[in-house]
Amino acid sequence: MVATSNDVMPDIELYQPTDEANALALAAQLGNQGWILGGGQDTYGWLKDRNKIATAMIELTQIDAWKGIRETSDGIEIGAVTTLTEIADNPLVQDRFGLLAQAAGVVASPQIRNVGTLGGNLIQDARCWYYRRGLDCYRAGGNLCYADSPEGLNREHALFGASRCVAVSPSDTAPALVALDATMVISSESGQRTVPAQDFFVGPDRDILNMTVLNEGEILTAVRIPNTFANAEFYFEKVADRNVWDFALVSIAAAVKVSGGTIQDVRLAAGAVECVPRRLEAVENALRGQQRSEALADQVAAIATDGARPLNYNNFKIPLLANLVKRAVRG
Amino acid sequence: MGEIVRYKRDVWGEEVILGVSWDLLWVVAVAILVLLAAHAIIMAALANKKMDKPSAQGRRVLRHETIDRAFHWIMAISILVLIFTGVAPIIGLRIAWLDIHWISGLILTFVVIFHIIRSLFWQDFKSMILGPSDFGEPFDSAKKPGKYSFEQKGMHWSVTVVVLAVIVTGVLLFLQIDTPFWDRTNSMPESQLGLVFLLHGLSTLALVALAATHIYFAVRPEKLFYTRSMVSGWISEDEMTANHDPSKWSPKEAD
Repeated sequence: MVATSNDVMPDIELYQPTDEANALALAAQLGNQGWILGGGQDTYGWLKDRNKIATAMIELTQIDAWKGIRETSDGIEIGAVTTLTEIADNPLVQDRFGLLAQAAGVVASPQIRNVGTLGGNLIQDARCWYYRRGLDCYRAGGNLCYADSPEGLNREHALFGASRCVAVSPSDTAPALVALDATMVISSESGQRTVPAQDFFVGPDRDILNMTVLNEGEILTAVRIPNTFANAEFYFEKVADRNVWDFALVSIAAAVKVSGGTIQDVRLAAGAVECVPRRLEAVENALRGQQRSEALADQVAAIATDGARPLNYNNFKIPLLANLVKRAVRG
Repeated sequence: MGEIVRYKRDVWGEEVILGVSWDLLWVVAVAILVLLAAHAIIMAALANKKMDKPSAQGRRVLRHETIDRAFHWIMAISILVLIFTGVAPIIGLRIAWLDIHWISGLILTFVVIFHIIRSLFWQDFKSMILGPSDFGEPFDSAKKPGKYSFEQKGMHWSVTVVVLAVIVTGVLLFLQIDTPFWDRTNSMPESQLGLVFLLHGLSTLALVALAATHIYFAVRPEKLFYTRSMVSGWISEDEMTANHDPSKWSPKEAD
């Protein structure tokens, strides 16, 4: 006798538009019923665990206009459906914006980077155990946070900006794009708008159910990186429990313009310490106009962790963040 | 649509209350708009254009002392801020609402405590008591009230019950979030927490209805002098004698 299981994939209407207009029309028509699908590396986890169900999916990987890396008059534009491997291996990105190439090159594993897209990496959902497990926590529309409870497992969670939910932004490329002062291009049937990378991500204080400013019917279609920090000195480091196929415990992305040993301009962003990539503006202000030195690195490292509110099991992230900032400043 | 209470599964898989269904917010909003619009139409149809409006000129009597007016407006602002910040995430406005919400809630709590103490020991508490005789007042045009009419007492006690419910449940929820004063413990069982959210939500819906009704009556032409008195403190003697029984309320002269 053959065993049967009723636990099968639910019916999903799959749309595979090949042009922008069709994709945007579908996104508008389906609204929140239309699950936007890039490489699927976030989506399939949800479906596999049966914790979220899609009734319709709009797969974007056949839209050529949203793929590839193009040079523009003021930098580069990367289509949101470009794979992470393409970004990591692209000579133009490596040459001018090595920070992003490094960040894209440490996402998960080679197999995931081969299919995972930049857009998917940026808008992926929170990786909190409890949320992913399907519990009705704050982020899922419930009344409490299981991670920030006396027995909650929260070593991966936030040091800053928690407001009821303590999940962090899991994206590796997001801090790099914030440091590079990138702009997100968001398209919908009613037109296009651009949002600075720093403002693209939303903390739970403003919207506890979503991690980005994307509204219903909107699709992240491209990322523009200006030449402001092209060929600057970059530093990217991701600390995780293992070197591949893991999310950051803390990451740091720094773009520094140095002239004669003096820091002319700098942008720093930390990942996995807040629900959004955390721009370290106080550190940047303390660095501008200063001579790079060990003493300076020590001094600003303390500033980076000001205001941290550790949970039961993530105290270690404070010295980790401080040390990553030190390393970024040392270069 | 159609449900009043939302449920969820707790961490053990048991069904527990999650809170009120926020579809009811739209039901309340539409219902109150329809009722107030109907009232406005009926009042317009019944209006006796020849009826003399009491004059605001002449001798003035004190209706509300400065401290009570200040209390009223602080309470009004804090309630409106609480409603706006509470409703914002429900209707999809992306604002950092929580801190503003609990700070307004604390202000409301302190002002209400102050008001309760002041009304019990320094004000004429009896003038607000709603007795059996008050219920005949709306049906007998010859019967005039003391300082407060039947409708005003009814509104006051309705608001009292609802605001106290909002405050008690709000304080319980306040204990469940991180604040500058403490770190949350997340120790309340999910079923109890859901019940508190439900009561907070239901009392919020009632407060939305009462606030809308109160604002509507505050701007009605025949009641505007009461609103003016909540700003300036006084009503005219003519307004007083037209609407109140001097044998039941003898206010002092306004400065």
